[in-house]
Amino acid sequence: MSADPAAAGPVGMTRAEHFATIGQQRHAATLGMWAWLLTELLLFAGLFLTALILRLLHPEAVQAAAGHLKFWIGAANTVVLLCSSLTMSAAIELSRLGWQRMMVGCLVATASLGALFLVLKGYEYYADYEEHMMPFLARRPYALAEQPATRLFVNLYYVATALHAVHLLTGIAILVGLTWKASRPGFLQRHQNWIEVYGLYWHFIDLIWIIAFPVLYVVNR
Amino acid sequence: MRNPRPALDAKDRALLWSRLRVPVRTFLALLALLAVNVGLGATRPFEQVWLVELAVVAAMAAIIVLVSMEVRHERPLVRLFAGLGFFWVAILFGMTLTDYLAR
Amino acid sequence: MSSAGSLQGEAAARDPHTPSPTLDRPDDYLHAQSTLRSWFLTTDHKRIALLYLASITAFFVVGAVAAGFVRLALVVPDGAIMTNDTYNKAFTIHGVVMVWFFLIPSIPATFGNFLIPLMIGAKDLAFPKLNLASWYVFMTGALFTLAAVVLGGVDTGWTFYAPLSTAFSNTWVLPALIGVTIVGFSSILTGLNFVVTIHTMRAPGMTWFRLPIFVWTHYATSLIFLLATPVITLALILLIAERAFHVGVFDPAYGGDPVLFQHLFWFYSHPAVYIMVLPGMGVISEIVPAFAQKKLFGYRFVAYAAIGLASVTFFVWGHHMFVNGQSDLASLAFSALSFAVAVPSAVKVYNWTATIHKGSLRLDTPMLYAMGYIGLFVLGGLTGLYLATLAINQHIHATYFVVAHFHYIMVGGTVLAFLGGLHFWWPKITGRMYSEPWGRISALFIFIGFNVTFFPQFILGYLGMPRRYATYPPEFQLLNVLSSAGSTILAAGYLFPMVYLVHSLWFGRRAPGNPWDAKGLEWETASPPPPHNFAGVPRVPEVPYDYPIQAPETGRQHT
Repeated sequence: MSADPAAAGPVGMTRAEHFATIGQQRHAATLGMWAWLLTELLLFAGLFLTALILRLLHPEAVQAAAGHLKFWIGAANTVVLLCSSLTMSAAIELSRLGWQRMMVGCLVATASLGALFLVLKGYEYYADYEEHMMPFLARRPYALAEQPATRLFVNLYYVATALHAVHLLTGIAILVGLTWKASRPGFLQRHQNWIEVYGLYWHFIDLIWIIAFPVLYVVNR
Repeated sequence: MRNPRPALDAKDRALLWSRLRVPVRTFLALLALLAVNVGLGATRPFEQVWLVELAVVAAMAAIIVLVSMEVRHERPLVRLFAGLGFFWVAILFGMTLTDYLAR
Repeated sequence: MSSAGSLQGEAAARDPHTPSPTLDRPDDYLHAQSTLRSWFLTTDHKRIALLYLASITAFFVVGAVAAGFVRLALVVPDGAIMTNDTYNKAFTIHGVVMVWFFLIPSIPATFGNFLIPLMIGAKDLAFPKLNLASWYVFMTGALFTLAAVVLGGVDTGWTFYAPLSTAFSNTWVLPALIGVTIVGFSSILTGLNFVVTIHTMRAPGMTWFRLPIFVWTHYATSLIFLLATPVITLALILLIAERAFHVGVFDPAYGGDPVLFQHLFWFYSHPAVYIMVLPGMGVISEIVPAFAQKKLFGYRFVAYAAIGLASVTFFVWGHHMFVNGQSDLASLAFSALSFAVAVPSAVKVYNWTATIHKGSLRLDTPMLYAMGYIGLFVLGGLTGLYLATLAINQHIHATYFVVAHFHYIMVGGTVLAFLGGLHFWWPKITGRMYSEPWGRISALFIFIGFNVTFFPQFILGYLGMPRRYATYPPEFQLLNVLSSAGSTILAAGYLFPMVYLVHSLWFGRRAPGNPWDAKGLEWETASPPPPHNFAGVPRVPEVPYDYPIQAPETGRQHT
């Protein structure tokens, strides 16, 4: 690790040995995150496609199943994630200003809102369980057992939301580690672009939910 | 390093607001669009409402990608990559639907 | 290590035909450090390439032994040699190991890893730690699956079609699926690293149209890794959920649709054919000009063809599903689009052939493999057109015709390119020359053995022998015995390099920096290269493939 003269300001980054310039390193990191997000997009696209095919194959069953989803919890959770996107954007702007303390505050808020989402999601799963809406549990009676095709959509809802929750959980875990590092003195001189690159991931996970909410909860009502 | 606490003077506040203007406006726009979708979902005014709902989602997605993720300020290569993903999703959906819509 | 700088400086200044001085402790990437830790925790792309090379060679051996069992079972028509169950498990081991753990990572993870930074004049890949992580992810998933298919046994074939894999098979499908899903992440990480590296790490002056075709094809491959792999990850996640929790999406009993799994599966797995083939095309595009000492014919078209193949391949997956109940419209569209694949493929073949034409040919081992590749790829590609034709496909679907077709592409193509590349870059990678006579003999064995094994399978398939059956009517026995006999010749051809290449590591002649008089930045540095690849920032030549013979594309000829 060698310090670059360009990084002498309040905000900057350290050049890794195998990069020729800071600009190259910054560009590589941003492009790398976008390449990763491409894969995330295609992953969830497969799920949304499956939801669409189910809707085409079994329109009545999908509507009956979607009627049992907790529409208002889903909507509230979308608001929670929109708030977290705001705090993440604010953290990025603050990191560019070099206002470390406020930035760390925004990162903590972002992680907390993410955790709130998971708590609400957990409550939603619990409510589903109470209503016998977990057809994948072999021993538990299923509320819509007379319509076997409904279990396809309900189960897909669990796969989709669980996969999103795994991404959010991973995101929160990384964010906690990042926040801890970001609160060290001199962090923004060395690794300011970490905040920006991480922000891309967080916004994208929000984006996935913002698409998933209507696809699962709204259009099939 | 500028690390003001706890009080911001007027100049700091002006600077902060100039930086946070875009994120806050984005947030409000997204919230408004979400309200439209939730309203439509709750009331279901007509049969083809899903078309409107999907259009609203598309608008939200575009705002997040272009503004929140700053693709509009990125260099062309990053824009290309962001677009590429959506194009490939279109291939996946389009070619699969040639099967399901024509069965 | 105080003399490190001066040694590297000398290496760059030396005549490229003189071996590096070896009296002092050599300062190349192989000898810079020698602890186990320096190998297993390395972030040097060259060492990671060797970690991959060792592991995929081991997987190749496992897959090849399983293939041997399959050919052994098929010597007799009544399945008397092994039980049907054992036979099913043997062809599943062969398919799973060869496709997922050998063919897909083969050339990109080894030669791609080793050569891309060298060819573009970079010190390393953009994300060296991610590169190492991808190997650990690969080994975790691969060993997990290997344990499942070898110790437990799986009988679904490498395609894991539902509902056989979800509802009917009572073998170790679940762990095999989990392992394959994990391996997908290593592909994604490798692809991501290559894409970012090729975009951002090129040396000053290395413009896109000065890149070797090898880099172009790896760029195209990496895009497929990124855009296709997540969809199979999702398909496998749904399959895992289906098997473990009876989700029902692929289960006709609840109104689910198994064909949907095939759509998601082939959205990845057809492009995956190009993950396996494109890097091989890159290897051939390097070998042919070097051994013809002639500029690659139609450089830009070969580059465009790589990107063209990587794009078109996403529009053709339905040709695997012509008889599976997909709509007529979809079959029509997929069939028509499949023919389009022939265009960029043919562009490449014609350009290689035109490069050989009037070149100053040397038939050394790598070139023998390259010539074999071109011939076999043409046969494999043309039979692909038969399969893309709807009416003919009805007749030969899921027969040995298909088996022969894709082995001509996968073995005749990818494996020959892999071996050709291994011999071409072996001096660069190890700093040693192998035994040329043995190299030529084994190339010949492989070519003959391959054709004797797989050509009869075209005839078998055309006559109607279905794939994956343990038994067959007695009139097919002659051709099956011929095929099995050929596989023993092929096996010998595979064994020779394992012996003489390893032998060369200790007893081979020291290799000079550029033993083939080849062009490209990787030949400008020492063999083996120093840890950071180049002594200084390498000078990029203005024209790629600047070989002495340049006719006839430019009309000039000077030697």
